[in-house]
Amino acid sequence: MSEPTPSSPAVSRCEYTWAFLLLRLFLGLRTFFEGVEKFEKNGTYSFANYYENMGRMAQGITGASFLPLWATRNYAHSLGYLLLILGAALLLGIKTRCTLVATGLLYVSLSFGLMAVQENEGVAWLGVYIGLFAGALALVRHNRFALWRDRID
Amino acid sequence: MPNPKTTGFTRRDFLATGAKLGAAFIAAPYLARAASIGGGSDSLNIGLIGCGEEGRVLLSAALKIPNIRFRAVCDIWPYNLRYGERLLEKFGHDPKPFEDYREMLSAVPDLDAVIVATPDFVHAEHTNAALKAGKHVYCEKLMSNTVEGARSMVRTAKETGRLLQIGHQRRSNPRYIYARDKIVRGARLLGRVTNASAQWNRAVTEDLGFPAKQAIPEDVLHKYGYANMHEFRNWRWFKRYSGGVISDLGAHQIDVFNWMLGSNPTSVIAGGGRDYYPNHEWYDNVFVIYEYPTSEQVVRTSYQVLTTTSAGGGYYEYFMGDEGALKMSENPKYTKLYREARAPEWDSWVAKGLIARPGSGEGALPPVKPWEKPLSHPPMMSKSVSSVVDVRETAELSAWDMPVTLDKAIHQPHLENFFDTIRGKATLNCPGETALASAATILKVNDAVAARKMLSYVPEDFTT
Repeated sequence: MSEPTPSSPAVSRCEYTWAFLLLRLFLGLRTFFEGVEKFEKNGTYSFANYYENMGRMAQGITGASFLPLWATRNYAHSLGYLLLILGAALLLGIKTRCTLVATGLLYVSLSFGLMAVQENEGVAWLGVYIGLFAGALALVRHNRFALWRDRID
Repeated sequence: MPNPKTTGFTRRDFLATGAKLGAAFIAAPYLARAASIGGGSDSLNIGLIGCGEEGRVLLSAALKIPNIRFRAVCDIWPYNLRYGERLLEKFGHDPKPFEDYREMLSAVPDLDAVIVATPDFVHAEHTNAALKAGKHVYCEKLMSNTVEGARSMVRTAKETGRLLQIGHQRRSNPRYIYARDKIVRGARLLGRVTNASAQWNRAVTEDLGFPAKQAIPEDVLHKYGYANMHEFRNWRWFKRYSGGVISDLGAHQIDVFNWMLGSNPTSVIAGGGRDYYPNHEWYDNVFVIYEYPTSEQVVRTSYQVLTTTSAGGGYYEYFMGDEGALKMSENPKYTKLYREARAPEWDSWVAKGLIARPGSGEGALPPVKPWEKPLSHPPMMSKSVSSVVDVRETAELSAWDMPVTLDKAIHQPHLENFFDTIRGKATLNCPGETALASAATILKVNDAVAARKMLSYVPEDFTT
């Protein structure tokens, strides 16, 4: 039996596997720490800080857009926890396909909020992330090292 | 239908009451202003000589000060005189108008003080006459267009025992006082002050005109020393009336050199010329280098005044030391403190409230949007490698702010200091003796330009 050449299917699969793993870890870390940062104020982390930060965010978005306060407040209060859960799930490889879709949708919802306040720079940054999520979904069939694999894997 | 008699409020009553309320509403600000003029023991009677550009600036500032009553205004141009008179009447004053200052001084004997805001060449004449009439005097800078004129003012003030304040208003500006006393001298944040520079770059301005119908008759102009109406309106540009731009704009900033460094210069070298405005006499651009002896070293300072461009950062005074630098300006947007990388950390001074992290402008964090979380620490800035063009460049200076603001007109604190000194509650921030030293410092620049060489000062230059 001959050794696989660099262009053989076995080597290609290995490269895709690592490519996806890198992307998954990056997106997982980014999402998780985006959630952690919501609990911080003046270098300290607490639930009180979280609700203060999120309250400010909700007020700010409502003040600068057509979105009602009840909607932005509910969204903001759940945002940090969602980011933590989804980030951790990506890092650990828990139902990665579903998690990527859910996290991608969460980023789309964030960009919707920024579009509503015409924060174009932020929208552009979120667009980059959403592109990365789309790329990750295209590679998700190469997902390995996962704690709880999708059934299709 | 309700019976007007039973309600007790007829249409006539309504109209009468409405008219009274309306009149009270319209008169309220004037009544309030009149009340603030006051007539108590602290109240001062003031006369103003010169209702032109600078006179109006001083009037506007003085009108915000309580217990000041303008009793007389004087100007040789009826057009200016009417303006001053009407402005004061609007604010509840009842000034008597005069063309001749001598008439004013004799006809209104109960004046406590006189503000002189006339062209420089008559400062000495007007100030000396007012002092001799027993009035305290606030005279605009430059004290005089000649050192001898300035000396005569100091001598007269001494002889009469009256107060003489010169309008170098930065000396009363709380931001300047804070910078000198707390930052430069107290905490010594600049370390050893080694150099200073200052500039006033101003764009091209058109000569001042006048309504043809309002021109002063020639014989009246000649009586008061003016050649013609054009020179009367643009006296700052002509040698018989003024010391030119170095005494007009430079005076403020060169005075700050003397004040901040606590000394008078030993030498001056300067270049300049009338290169742009063919119908002026005085230089339109001047560059100067002074040498100031201080307790630590000779501080070399440079000064430039340009009247053809506002490029190059506007107007400011910049004091540089081996640990930090202070950029001061009457315009707060040009003011900043800089820390050299080799200096001890300044965070402890922030904690003590002496200085502040920049709230706006250079060195400030980007503004936080309403939905963003404020940053608790500055983001790590990526330094552009391409911006370092030479390995001998030193580290970038960090920018800081002073936590002091001036929420009044810039001349107001200096006028307040003058009035409070008359009342015995303060001492003058710019007495004649001090301003004489500044006038001598400034006027020698024109001699240096003409001589095209370095000129030296002797201590006698700065005294009577």
